Amino acid sequence: MSQGGYRRPHRWAWWMERPGYMRFMIRELTSFFMAGYLVVFLVTLSRVGAGDAAFAEWVGALSRPGWVAAHVVALLAAVWHAITFFGAVPQAMPIFLGEKRLSAPIAMIVMGYGPWLTVSAVVVWWMLR
Amino acid sequence: MSKERASASAGRVGSGEQVAGSPVATDERTITLELFRYHPETDAEPRFQSYEVPYNEDWVVLDAINWIKDHVDGTVTHRWSCRMGVCGSCGMMVNGEPVLTCAAFLKSYFPFAVRVEPLVNFPVERDLVVSMDGFMDKLEAVKPYMIRDDVNDTSGGEFRQSPAELAKYKQFSMCINCMLCYAACPVVGHEEGFLGPAALALGHRYNKDSRDHGRSERMDVMLSDEAMWGCTFVGECSVVCPKHVDPAGAIQQAKAMGAQEYFKAFVMPKGAGA
Repeated sequence: MSQGGYRRPHRWAWWMERPGYMRFMIRELTSFFMAGYLVVFLVTLSRVGAGDAAFAEWVGALSRPGWVAAHVVALLAAVWHAITFFGAVPQAMPIFLGEKRLSAPIAMIVMGYGPWLTVSAVVVWWMLR
Repeated sequence: MSKERASASAGRVGSGEQVAGSPVATDERTITLELFRYHPETDAEPRFQSYEVPYNEDWVVLDAINWIKDHVDGTVTHRWSCRMGVCGSCGMMVNGEPVLTCAAFLKSYFPFAVRVEPLVNFPVERDLVVSMDGFMDKLEAVKPYMIRDDVNDTSGGEFRQSPAELAKYKQFSMCINCMLCYAACPVVGHEEGFLGPAALALGHRYNKDSRDHGRSERMDVMLSDEAMWGCTFVGECSVVCPKHVDPAGAIQQAKAMGAQEYFKAFVMPKGAGA
């Protein structure tokens, strides 16, 4: 039997065929928002280096509704990306205790949500102290 | 083979006749099956052909296709064997979903029509049968067998393994080569050379086997651009897997293993310790 045979046309709209494909595309698209936020962050650092007046002007610009909305979107994208990342951890990094594998929810807490919430709590404490 | 001849010679027969080995219809209701038809000697393009099949809630889609072949149209060509989710032969697209047709009950679709196609991402040989040649080549490429110099030396007894060592790969050894994961993988559809979920999971299965010594041989293949780094972790291969093998997980673990070996090569280059 040859590898010939009828080849069906390429499915350009493949990502609309299954909810899982759509979730994958959304996960990948979140990286654009995170890259955009990184650019803003780098500009912020450069404004810090340019002096107090330049930094104050930049912070004033970022306080406008459009920029605030952009930051909220970037935050939601980052949170969603983190959730999908933590969901993948049990598959990519299984933890075995002898012949027993740590269940997925426990692995997600131990290697994902636990450290995430701990670091976030420390950051919030440091900002509010 | 004898069954093939029996159903082909029966041709169009009345639904009241019983062909040996054919499922028995016990319900007055019917369900429509739309089968993908393609005979390379006569068809330039595939087409769909509808069949009315007796509805029986105990029937699976494979029973319905067998009924069509035995009672209505002996030219329908499909691949099947065990009817119990073990052989992995009867994987097809049912209403766009890659499934084992021996495990897809008609009652899940009734009263709506059921559209059956050959697995996507594979060339079609005839009707519902796809070409497996490329898949077999990919399986072979990862050397899915025990590699060690003393594999034929039984003087020391069996190669022992603890339950904990077995647990590290057992899940990945459950693959039945049904190819549903290839039909669910968009990377396979885009890049014909991509080794794909089942082959990479099987390679990882042997790499994780404590009795195997062939990891470096296998990783030469698995680390290539068309192997595990081609996987973008869509994850649908694991969703459709009827044996819960989790090929997506195996590939991510193999990536971690490959990255470790890459950095280890910097720290401890070959021959440095000699």
